[in-house]
Amino acid sequence: MSESLMLPDVRVVELDNGFRALLVEREPLPVVASVLWYAVGARDERSGETGLSHFLEHMMFKGTDRFGKGEIDLLTSKMGGSNNAFTDNDSTAYYFSLAADRWETALEIESSRMRSCLLDPQEFASEKNVVLEELAMGEDEPWRPLYQACEGLMWQVHPYHHPVIGYREDLERLQAQGMRDYYARHYGPNRAFLTVVGAIDPQRTVDRIHELFGTLPRAAERQTPLGEPLPKGERRAELRTHHSVTRFCIGFPTCRMGDFDDYALDLLAHDLGNSKNSRLYRRLALDEELVTDVSVINETRQDPGGLFVLGELRQGADANKVERIIREEMAGQISEGISKADLKRIRAQISASFLFQDESVLDQAMKIARFEAGTPDGYRTLEDVLPTYEALSSKELRRVAARYYDFGRATVVWAVPERPTVALGVSAPTKKSPKKSNRKESAKKPAKKPAKKVAKKTAKKSNRAGKRTPKKVAKKAAGKGRR
Amino acid sequence: MSRDIQLEIGERELRNGLTLLAVRNPRVQTFAAVTTLDIRGIDEPVDRMGLANLVGSCLDEGTKKHDDLELAKAAEACGASLDGSSTGGVVMAPASSQKPALALLREIILEPTFPSRQVKRVQAEVLTEIAAEEDDPRTVAARRFRRYVYGDHPLARPAQGTAATVAKLTPKDLRAYHKRLFRPAGGYVAISAPDEVEQSLDRLEKVFKSFRGDAVEHGEYPTVELSAGSHNDHVAMPREQVHIYLGHVGVRRNDPDFYVLSVMDHILGTGPGFTSRCARKLRDEQGLCYAVSAGITPSAGREPGTFTAYIGTSPEHRQRAVDGFLAEIERIRSELVSEQELEDVKQYLTGSFVFALERNSNLAAYAIRAKRFGLGFDFIHRYPDTIRSITTEQVRAAAERHLHPDRIAVISAGAS
Repeated sequence: MSESLMLPDVRVVELDNGFRALLVEREPLPVVASVLWYAVGARDERSGETGLSHFLEHMMFKGTDRFGKGEIDLLTSKMGGSNNAFTDNDSTAYYFSLAADRWETALEIESSRMRSCLLDPQEFASEKNVVLEELAMGEDEPWRPLYQACEGLMWQVHPYHHPVIGYREDLERLQAQGMRDYYARHYGPNRAFLTVVGAIDPQRTVDRIHELFGTLPRAAERQTPLGEPLPKGERRAELRTHHSVTRFCIGFPTCRMGDFDDYALDLLAHDLGNSKNSRLYRRLALDEELVTDVSVINETRQDPGGLFVLGELRQGADANKVERIIREEMAGQISEGISKADLKRIRAQISASFLFQDESVLDQAMKIARFEAGTPDGYRTLEDVLPTYEALSSKELRRVAARYYDFGRATVVWAVPERPTVALGVSAPTKKSPKKSNRKESAKKPAKKPAKKVAKKTAKKSNRAGKRTPKKVAKKAAGKGRR
Repeated sequence: MSRDIQLEIGERELRNGLTLLAVRNPRVQTFAAVTTLDIRGIDEPVDRMGLANLVGSCLDEGTKKHDDLELAKAAEACGASLDGSSTGGVVMAPASSQKPALALLREIILEPTFPSRQVKRVQAEVLTEIAAEEDDPRTVAARRFRRYVYGDHPLARPAQGTAATVAKLTPKDLRAYHKRLFRPAGGYVAISAPDEVEQSLDRLEKVFKSFRGDAVEHGEYPTVELSAGSHNDHVAMPREQVHIYLGHVGVRRNDPDFYVLSVMDHILGTGPGFTSRCARKLRDEQGLCYAVSAGITPSAGREPGTFTAYIGTSPEHRQRAVDGFLAEIERIRSELVSEQELEDVKQYLTGSFVFALERNSNLAAYAIRAKRFGLGFDFIHRYPDTIRSITTEQVRAAAERHLHPDRIAVISAGAS
């Protein structure tokens, strides 16, 4: 695969106030995608203000000094385009796909809402209900509360501890003024960059960027959050759920996104649990028939992240046996590494996933933005990604596996049915009337966060291309907090 | 805008009755191929519900040449994503892997063996999935809604089957179903790739010309009847939210009102962002929900779909949400939409079309849709004029014809 394909011609614009833009001209379809990426996420929230980043993302569509309430969506739709946004632990991103002859409106909108969002108290109150409904929806899902419980136990000091959507108690207490302060503190040109891909006139775009973003004042620089000490022992929890299927999530603390080990973990995760031929799927799903699905996510972040093993038990399967096999297979990977033939196959999958991301302007803009935000060398990392995967030997992979696969500091969470089901495929009786207290009760579950980002991972280095037999686990655990 | 877009599409009918379609997408280094055979829901025996779905899920569980793991390895080795479906399959891969990837697609469609052990495993997975879905109030409500709306009609059947019917299926059933229905006649294979159209067609012909079998005699669907009156049903489940489905039988894709209804849908409840009336009222203004939609065209197919309004909300908001939907349905039937609303939606529909032509899988699906529903390959050039000619009175009249507030079912599951 040619390097030019991995890294298109990127024109970089840098303004005095710290704002950057990465521009890629691409034809022939008359479409343009823009991604405005902020270095603001759940990690920037202090105690008592959890969920503010994500809630603020919703409010960014509710009116600015130039664009009235609802106007951003209406303008986008009139331009035949689409827009959306997401928030995760490290970032918030806003994106548009628009027809090439009208796309500059996106720049005008982004410029206006960088510092001049209205955050009207009445809109704030009504949107708070939307966010609380979003939170309630997430709590009803099977994977999200499990994943959040695991994160909440794994990170006890670092703000990765709390869910991106926040705690219900914090959200209910939040006032518009608190959001205003947060917005003023964090939203500014020095905390953001723009990626544009499509049928643009580059020089005109550069001029417009200077005009629209050049005079915006800076926000505060980002603070470094408290570091997370390595766990001194295993952490374990059991959730009682309304669901009739038993599920698990096991997390291991790992490294930062873009670190050398991160690439190794991608290959290891693939070999461990991301295809039909992976160790865990073969052993647990095919040979022993203990699980219906198992999956491994290498979830590195700006601060050290985690490797998560998620799965769903067959009815009646022995949970202890499942855990034992996971230990055996991870130990097996440490001692045996990955065979040459398997490495070749995994690399083919990863290369292909990069190619697929070039099919649409938005995917390509997002890919560039993720690398820019998430790796030390920014978008230029794209040039080295495939060679880095190529260069990793089985010996190095074994070293990395040995370093992180430590059950002595793993977090193990099981979600088990409150009531055992009668028989396979027959749901538990649901006649019992739900009580109001139910809401409170589940709001107190150890952790809840709807917004993570398999997509971020997949786009960064991605396992999406391949036939992932464990189709649904990772996807469901890690739904992105889209508006 | 769409007039500027040059889409090269070619077609070729093989002697075996299979139609090959090729789209040229020169800006990418990947390709996608989609196979849709002429297999209909009515072809599935009543006592074997879920059979078609299980056949689709087991196509890549073993073929005459490869077992399941070898198939997965072969796909991964060429960077391909390969999936079987109840009517065929899809493969996506780097363009440089077209030959091996297409061979794998052919293999799973023409030569699956449905080995017992693998079928049993997939069957167990489907059963777990069914169990998990019975835990999910949104799915529970959606299923009951479908069952009520279609009544005794075969369209009421859940594609996945039920625990009871799926548990009874055997590999023999799967083999017989495959043998009877996986035939080339009336089917399509579409590819979107960077190559010249003729070259792609030659490639497909080489792969699929040996596909043999006579045309299938399909059963006929009975006519779908609108239910006589309104209906309410709720399944209590201990959850945070209640999921409400509201609606009735809808229209076919070839309904003469289809385009007018697609405009109506966008104004009423499927518009992008939160521009539709339902999203604005129920989410933006009243903060009742995170997810809300309403529309009649998204489910329209060869057979009638449903008019479906959906909302997930807290139980205390239930009545306001239902009343909100009913008020909007009544309003769009009785009052003209504003010229501005209509104009905004026209701009969206005519401008957004180009995005459907970005990805290979969309392009291949577009080619099949254009053939299957007789739209013609020049559809993208005619579509803008079709949309632009729609008037506010046409929208109102179509809403009055196709939305029936007195026949609406309100089915919900979740918190009470």
